[in-house]
Amino acid sequence: MSAQIPISTFKPYQGEKARLARAYDYLILVLALFLFIGSFHLHFALTVGDWDFWVDWKDRQWWPLVTPLIGITFPAAVQAVLWDKFRLPLGATLCVAALLIGTWVTRVFAYHYWNYFPINMVLPATMIPGALVLDTLLMLTNSLTVTSIFGGAAFALLFYPTNWPIFGMFHQAVEVANSQLTVADLFGFQYIRTGMPEYLRIIERGTLRTYGQYATPLSAFCSALLCSLMYPLWWHIGKWFASTRYLTKI
Amino acid sequence: MATTSEDIISTQENAPSLPWYLIDLPKYLKGFGVLTVIYVSLRLYQGAFAVAHGLDSTEPAFEQYWMRLFYIELAVIAAVASGFWGYLWTTRDRTLDQLEPKEEIRRYFTLTMWISIYTFAVYWAGSYFAEQDNSWHQVAIRDTPFTANHIIEFYFNFPLYVILGGCAWLYARTRLPLYAKGISLPLTLAVFGPFMILVSVGFNEWGHTFWFREEFFAAPIHWGFVIGVWFALGVGGILLQGVTRLIELLDKIEDAE
Repeated sequence: MSAQIPISTFKPYQGEKARLARAYDYLILVLALFLFIGSFHLHFALTVGDWDFWVDWKDRQWWPLVTPLIGITFPAAVQAVLWDKFRLPLGATLCVAALLIGTWVTRVFAYHYWNYFPINMVLPATMIPGALVLDTLLMLTNSLTVTSIFGGAAFALLFYPTNWPIFGMFHQAVEVANSQLTVADLFGFQYIRTGMPEYLRIIERGTLRTYGQYATPLSAFCSALLCSLMYPLWWHIGKWFASTRYLTKI
Repeated sequence: MATTSEDIISTQENAPSLPWYLIDLPKYLKGFGVLTVIYVSLRLYQGAFAVAHGLDSTEPAFEQYWMRLFYIELAVIAAVASGFWGYLWTTRDRTLDQLEPKEEIRRYFTLTMWISIYTFAVYWAGSYFAEQDNSWHQVAIRDTPFTANHIIEFYFNFPLYVILGGCAWLYARTRLPLYAKGISLPLTLAVFGPFMILVSVGFNEWGHTFWFREEFFAAPIHWGFVIGVWFALGVGGILLQGVTRLIELLDKIEDAE
């Protein structure tokens, strides 16, 4: 047994039916907002995690790779329903905006007010520009293939430059105790965290440092390739979860 | 000036009444209000007592301020689960085959409200208190699975959203014909998948018995939670099922201005 959307000619509702439909829209809007804040944020916090939490984790190798790669998942899955079934070109932006609301609330009340981390140390990254491009491209092309290749790549490639105005200032070099650091590093050393050994083990591994300024674009293009693959995968995951089947037993 | 009975009747007549399909809206808004008060109170409690009495689980004060809260939570969770689930089951509709289209539409609205309340609880559990756990672990080494944040996140927030998800599932199963005839796959996924997050607490804490170091939040030991939350995407399917049925039902009723 499966539900089918009627394809018959649809006339816009009038009067009470129109008001009823609008009331249902508002209910869904509230439902979707908290759903995507809660679910996408948990997914994001436990996969991107520290790269989004801390300013000194925002390195050139992992941060531009991991964040868009994980960040494109829920947007793709939600677009598969909102665009395919409702012709709403806002699935990616909705998810990313919901994530940003969730992260901001947490960074202020859980990190800053509870444990006194400076808010500048825990600013979340933004993926809003990439999400807008992803939604726009899907709307204009109505093509999963084109959106995967060009939208997925744009989502990844736009990440670093659009975050640079937020985080660039923390890359200012400073000299502390005869060592050269960035301001972001200094935050990390001043506000000691229990995760420090893990941080030192993962961030900025050695060899790519010889690539100098090329490390970031290399990470971004690697992420672009992976996002182009991740996008259709999650589109289909979203479609599968949006099944309308009724089962006879579980 | 005295208020007469005529005045009261007149006031009631002039009061804007809710349309028939939103009859449960006040309960829905009260649900949001109650949950907000609970979660904000818990956060304020953490602010007041976590650093003062929540750092060392061997201290008597820890037992007094945190383990006592844990036991209270267990009692509340047991009462809420048995109360809500019991009520929804015992008041089930036994004559679903005679359901009028208008009443069925109203029930779809109420189901949407139940799911909305469920997602509100998912917000607090999956977003705020989940990431707050990282903040806490970065300043306090754990010496127990019952930390000042775990006691609220794992043993209250997680069970509470499971209960509310179960309420949505039970409401649909006992009051809506399509959900009574068959078991909705997306609704079941959206409720039982996040339930597995609660179960993943076992995997997570078992892992931490080996792995004391605090804390790489993206570590594979946490991915059980991640997979569980993917199932929340089943809400897309619930929406499609609901909209499809609502269109059919709206065609059956007369339009009113």
